[in-house]
Formats: sequence, C-alpha cells, structure tokens
Amino acid sequence: MSDPRLWLVGLAALPMVVVAASLVVDVERLRRLAVVSAATMLLAGVTMAASPRLHQLSIRTSLLTWNPGGEAVLRINDLSSVLLPFAAGLWLLTVAVTPRSALDRGGLRRTAFATLLTLGSFLTESALVLLLLSVGSVWTFVSALSDEAHRTQRRIAVAYLGGSTALFGIGVALLVGPGVESTRLESAGLWLIVIAALMRKGIVPFHAWVPEVFEHGRLGPTILFNAPQVGAYITVVLIVPRASPQMLRVIALLALGTAVYGAALALVQTSARRACGYLFVSQSALVMAGLDCTSAGALAGGLLVWLSAGLAFGGLARAILVLEARRGRLDLATYHGGYERVSVLAITFLATGLACTGFPGTLGFVGQELLVNGAVEAFPVMGFAIVIASALTGLAVMRMYFSLFCGRADAYALRDLRLGLTPREAWTFVALVAVLIGFGLAPRPLVDSRFAASDEILTARHALTGR
Amino acid sequence: MSGVPVAWLVLVGVGAPALLFAVLGGASLVNRQLPERWMGALAAAAMATSCLALVIALIVHGMAQTSPRRLAYGEWSTTHDGGITIEFLVDRLSLAFAALSAAVAGIVSAFSNRYLHRESGYHRYFTLLAMFVTGILLVALAGNVEVLFVGWELVGLSSALLVGFFHDRAAAVANAFRVLSVYRISDAAMLSAAVLLRHTAGTDSLSLFFSGGDAASLIGLNSNAPTAIAILLVIAVAGKSALLPFSGWLPRAMEGPTPSSAVYYGSLSIHAGCFLLLRSAPLLDQSVAARVLAGALGAATAVFAGITTRVQSDVKSSLAYAALTQVGLIVVEIAIGWYTLAFIHLVGHACFRLFQFLSAPNVLHDLHGIEDAMGTRPSRANGLIERLGSEDLRRALFLAALERGFLDSFLERVVVTPFISVAGRLTRIDRWLCAAVIPRGRLEAATGDRGRDE
Repeated sequence: MSDPRLWLVGLAALPMVVVAASLVVDVERLRRLAVVSAATMLLAGVTMAASPRLHQLSIRTSLLTWNPGGEAVLRINDLSSVLLPFAAGLWLLTVAVTPRSALDRGGLRRTAFATLLTLGSFLTESALVLLLLSVGSVWTFVSALSDEAHRTQRRIAVAYLGGSTALFGIGVALLVGPGVESTRLESAGLWLIVIAALMRKGIVPFHAWVPEVFEHGRLGPTILFNAPQVGAYITVVLIVPRASPQMLRVIALLALGTAVYGAALALVQTSARRACGYLFVSQSALVMAGLDCTSAGALAGGLLVWLSAGLAFGGLARAILVLEARRGRLDLATYHGGYERVSVLAITFLATGLACTGFPGTLGFVGQELLVNGAVEAFPVMGFAIVIASALTGLAVMRMYFSLFCGRADAYALRDLRLGLTPREAWTFVALVAVLIGFGLAPRPLVDSRFAASDEILTARHALTGR
Repeated sequence: MSGVPVAWLVLVGVGAPALLFAVLGGASLVNRQLPERWMGALAAAAMATSCLALVIALIVHGMAQTSPRRLAYGEWSTTHDGGITIEFLVDRLSLAFAALSAAVAGIVSAFSNRYLHRESGYHRYFTLLAMFVTGILLVALAGNVEVLFVGWELVGLSSALLVGFFHDRAAAVANAFRVLSVYRISDAAMLSAAVLLRHTAGTDSLSLFFSGGDAASLIGLNSNAPTAIAILLVIAVAGKSALLPFSGWLPRAMEGPTPSSAVYYGSLSIHAGCFLLLRSAPLLDQSVAARVLAGALGAATAVFAGITTRVQSDVKSSLAYAALTQVGLIVVEIAIGWYTLAFIHLVGHACFRLFQFLSAPNVLHDLHGIEDAMGTRPSRANGLIERLGSEDLRRALFLAALERGFLDSFLERVVVTPFISVAGRLTRIDRWLCAAVIPRGRLEAATGDRGRDE
C-alpha cells in the first residue's frame, strides 16, 4: 500500500467507475455511487497528501518533448499532492448538493469525466499532456452547453476557450517542439501560453466570457470547470519556471487590476449569477497575482488562496444553485428573505463568502495575509490593490447575503412548503464550512505544505532560468 | 514573577467569550439552538469569567509595577519570514480597556437575557455578542497587527449583522449594509496601515508603536512612513468611530436592538477607535500631520454632533449623536496629547452612555414618574447654542442638523453614484466584448437556462 502508483490508479478508477456505471445504472443509484466515489477519492487524496511517502513519484520521459532532459509525464510532489483532495472535494460538493432535478445521468457522467481530467492535469508537468487534457476539459464543458437554450453561451465559450486552447497548442509546439533551442521561439511560445492562461482564468481583458457564462449558461458545469483553476496550474508548471521577470510583472499587474475590477463589478450587479461570475474573476486574479510575484511568501499565499478560493467560491456558487432550485432566478435588486427557513444555507453562504474575502478565522485569511505582504513587497503601490479588492469583495458578498436571505419575512405565502436543505446537502455544506474554518484556525499543515511547494517551484525556476 | 499568572488570566479572559462564540456558532451551523435558559447561563458564565480574569490580571499587573509585557501564545502559522504569532501586549491601558469591555459586555448580556426574552433571534443575538466581545478584547490586547486586524474585523462584522438583526425588515438590512460599507473603508485603511508597517519596519509587532513612547523606537522607519501609517490609522479610526465625514452611518446603526446599540454605539465599539489612537500615541507623537488631522476631525465631529443631537426626534439617535460629541472631544484630547485625560474621559463616557442607552426604552416611563413626583412638566432649559446667532443662521443650522449634515446625500453624490455609473458602463463593455465574438454580432441577453442546470 506504500506504492503511490497503486493509489493513483485507485484514484483514477473512482470517476471511471462512475462514467462506466452511467451507462447501466439508474440516476438515483448513479448519484449515490458518485457521492460515495467522490467521498472515497477525497479520503484517499487526503491520505496521500498527509503521507510523505505517497507523494514522491516522478515518471519522466523524453518522448513528448524535444527538451534534452525530458519532462515528468506523471508526478506527485508537494504542489500536486494537496490538489488531489482539492479536486475530489469539488467533485463531492458537486454531486452531493446539486439539486436532483438539475443533475441527470449525462450530467453525472460529465462531472466524473471532468474530475478525471482535472486530476490528470494536476499530476503532470508535460506541456503536451496538459494541452490534451485541456482540450478534453474544454470539450466537456462546452458539451454541457449543447442544447438550443444555451447556443449563445456555447458560442462565446467556444470563441474564448477554443481560442485559448488553440493559443496554448501553438505555444506548446513552440515551447517543447523541434525549435526548443531557440530563445526567441521559446519566448513567443511562453507569451502565447500566458495569453491562453489569462483567457482560461478570465483575467482582464480576456474575462468577458466568465460573467456571461455564469449568468446565462449552466451554473453547475461552469462552477466545476472554473473552481479547480487549471489555468493556475498551467501558470505554475509552465510559465513561472521559465518566464522572464518582465513577463511575470505584466501578468501580476494585470491580475492585480483584475482583482479590483471583478470585485467592483460584482458589487453592482443585479443578477446573482453574474455577480458570482465577477467574484470568480476577482478570486481567480488574486491567485494569479500571487503566483507571479516570485517571492516565496507571495507564491505560497497564491497557492493557499487557490485552495481557499476554490473551495469557498465553489461552496458559495453551489449555495446559489441550491437556492435557485427553490426560488428560481435570483435578482439582487430585491430582497428575497426567508432566512429562518434556510438558515443553514444562509450561514454557509455567509461563511464561504467571508472565506473568499479573507476574513479572519477562515482559510482565506492566512493566504491573503501572505499574498498582500508579498504583493506589496513586489509592487509597493499596486500591491495595495489586494486590500481594495478584499474590501470590495466583502461588500459584494454581504450585499448578496442580505438580498438573498434577508429583507422580508418570507418569500412565500405557503408556509408549509418545504424549502430546507436535504440532509445530504446540509451535511456537505456543514463539512465544507468546517474545513474552511478548521484550516483557518489551524492552518500550519497547509501553510507548511504550500511553502514547500513554493520552494519547489522557485527551485525549478532557478534551474531553468538561473534567477 | 507576575508573567505566568497574567498570561493565563489574559488567555482565560479572551478565551471565555471566544469559546462561547464557537459553541453558539457551531450550534447555529448545524441548525440547533440551545434553550434560552442554558444560553443565558452560558453567556453570563462566559462574560463573568472573562471579566473576573481580566480584572485580576489588571490588579496583578498593576501591583507588580512592571513595564509592558509581550505575551506570545505560539505561532498560528509558520512562514519563511516569521509567521503569524498570537501575541498580546499587556500594560495598564490595554488591561484596563479589556476589563472595562468584559464588564460592559457582562452587564449588557444580563440585560439582553431579559430584554430579548422569546425573541426569535435570541440565539443569533448572543452568538454575535460573543463574536463582538472576542473581537473587542483582541483589539484591546493585540500585540501584533494580525491579532489587531482579527479583532477589528470581528467587531465590524458583528456590528453590521446586529444592525440588521431584525432581518425581515428591509430598512434594517439596508442600514446594515450602509454601516458595513463604511466599516470596509475603515478595515481597508487598517489593513493598509498594517501592511505598510510590516513593509517599512520589517515587523508586525505593535510594541514598536504601542509601547515605544519615544522616537528611538521608530528610528528604523524612514521619515514618511510613520506619517503614512498614522494617517491610515486615523482614517480607520474615523470610520469605526463615526467621525466626519463618515458620521452618516451612526443613526442608521440604531436599527439594531437597544442592548446592542448600547454596547456598540454607546459604550465600546464607538470608543474602539479612540482606544486605538491612544495605543498609537508614540506613533502620533512622530507625526504632526496625523495629529492635526485627528484633531480637526475630532473637533468638527464634536461640533456637528453637538448640533445634530438637538434636533433628533428619537431617543436612540439623539443619544448616538450625543455620544459622538464626546467621542469627538476625546479624539481632540488625544490629538493634543492629553492621553490620561482622554482615557479617563473614555471610560467615564462609556459607562455613562451605556446606562443611558439601556434605560432609553424606559425613558417615557421615567419621565412620567418625574412628572408625577413634581406635579408639573420639567422645564426645558434653552442651551447656549439655541441662543447663538441670527434667526437665519439658526434656521440653517436646524435644517442641516435635521438632514444630519447632508452627509448621506453628499457621499451618495460623490462616491456611490459615480461608482455605480462607471461600473454599469464597464458591465456594458463586457457584454459588448461577448457580443463581438458571436458570428451574428449580437448577444441574446435574454437567453436563460431553460433546460437542466447540472
């Protein structure tokens, strides 16, 4: 049991079992199977992350690159070990709380397949494998928008994400292809990959698709596609180790601006979904800003915010989805009330929202502390953008909270109508909040692990660029 | 010698309300509520324990005549540059304010237990009160910027949520959001000050500013850094203590239940900013600009609130502005450098105003009692301000006071409207950016999700 390869096979088998079962099992059983598989995957992922023996694996090959040293096509290290339970947790959140009416057989299959692709992405540093998995993940997301009602959003997603993937493909070809010795080609390839990552992560000026798809697309697949932030992984593995300081500076400044932009626009939206989209843009940019500051503290902060923002944002957006299943589309221009009838959901929304803002006592706090200090060190003026973004995000979240859960006694005349959460939904949300607060109060294991990961990244950067 | 018991006493003092908050918050999360009787007893026990521990700590520390002590309780997280430590800075000032806070919280807790009997939000109220007490104790005892910021944020959030306590009323919720908006400005200023401190001084310890008391302790900073940090602190204080131009949120905060108004806006929260300024005295001494700014804001606030309080038509708003007058004066005293007087003023005013707020619901009853005893209505003396100036000036002042200085409309016009306008335009540009990539060139904005939404 100490062979990490066996554990990886087991991890990958779980979503594959769900994909296979979706062909034969009825929806209710399939859903139960998906919940059990995701929970098992989460436990296995936590075990792997906690056990140093289980996250030291690297299978290298030179078949997929012209680089003389080859690259790790499959590896588990300090960076990826924590991302495994992270991906599993997001899958569990998806299958456990998404309303029954909104998750059919095809949807369950897609969530399992998307998780498998995310898992695969987090386990490789091969540019080509990342490209193939990226194509798969974009295809899975776009296929979720295949019905006529979402034709417009499908086109937008195809335009932006297809463009991003195409640029990524050309960039990878230049980066690891036959012309790998040429500095100019490498630089051009890197710039293309940077633009691809910015598009995928919704950084200004490539962000417009995110709020649109959140508002008018399908919220469930959109959350599952965005929350793991595979674009951040591409940045860490392909860009940060190779990029010049100027390139990282440009990315970090764009990201800092985007963090403020997204939070400011989230504050004034009248659609809860669109506000959610802008919140994601802001959170995603915060991660990107940390990853591109190149100081160990900011990098570790970025890696920590990646986890906290992913989980917290995933929970917040899922809470909106669950509320929509009970009340229909949510308009932030009015008060919806009814706190007493959905108090657990309201508290979950508040707690996850506050975790997004880096509120003390949540996992987001320590990450944002590291991030702010690192960013100010790198950019003495622009670094304060994180402070402004945090303040605006806090306001946006509280505005949403007040609008969605307060302001009137009850939204419905029928007091007997059951609106409360099902036990599965309630316990999943409670567990999520417990994780966010638990790691907020005792963050040391996670902080240590993220510092170890940031050291790995900076070592790789030093080896490749000498900086 | 006194270090060990003081460290334990402080830990118990802060830990008791924190534990209460954890228990009540955890129960809320799993949708369980403790019976009122239990909760009242728990809250009373926690507040009494906290108060007792902090009073003993103050006595022990005071008798030992020791200099300020840093109490470190281990690292919260480790980082390459030292990590975040849980650290308190204990001296007579911090322990006295902490003990006062715990005592006030205990009184309000006992009062609230009866006042909110059978109120549907009883459990929520005590959860938020415990959160607030934890926060204010952390602010009082903070030894580094992280602990200070944690306390500052807990006070702010609990305050806003208690303003919106009657959350089935739209006005209460709208006012809670207004209050929170100002608090976020204050939080941003506080966090910026903290980051700047760490960036310029290379430390997050507040002992540099809170207990230095001389210029030597600030030598490590360049000449502009203390001024920048001090000005940011003054802005943070102005937001939290409702100084001009942020005073507009104060009457809005009266939407909350009376006991919470008493503890926040009569007694503790509104003085938290003054306390922070007092703690930062060594820093203020280094920055003339920050002292002038604080003094000007304090004086202007005192005059504004002194006039405005006279025309309020409800007792809580009137009391709130009366409290603000004194807060302005305390800030002026601090700016001048009369620190001891300021602290005595702060303690006395906090206790007096707490009593006034808590007896506010009873004011008509008390007035009737006085009338019955006197056999006539008590005469209302015309004050100095009512006799000052011409009729036109008095009328103008009356109108300005009635509109609470036009502060809300001013901020609405200068900040909110332009912000919404710019954000609206940017949203339209974003929609256009999406429309531009669609072959037909227009976005079907109305296309909703009509199918399944997994």
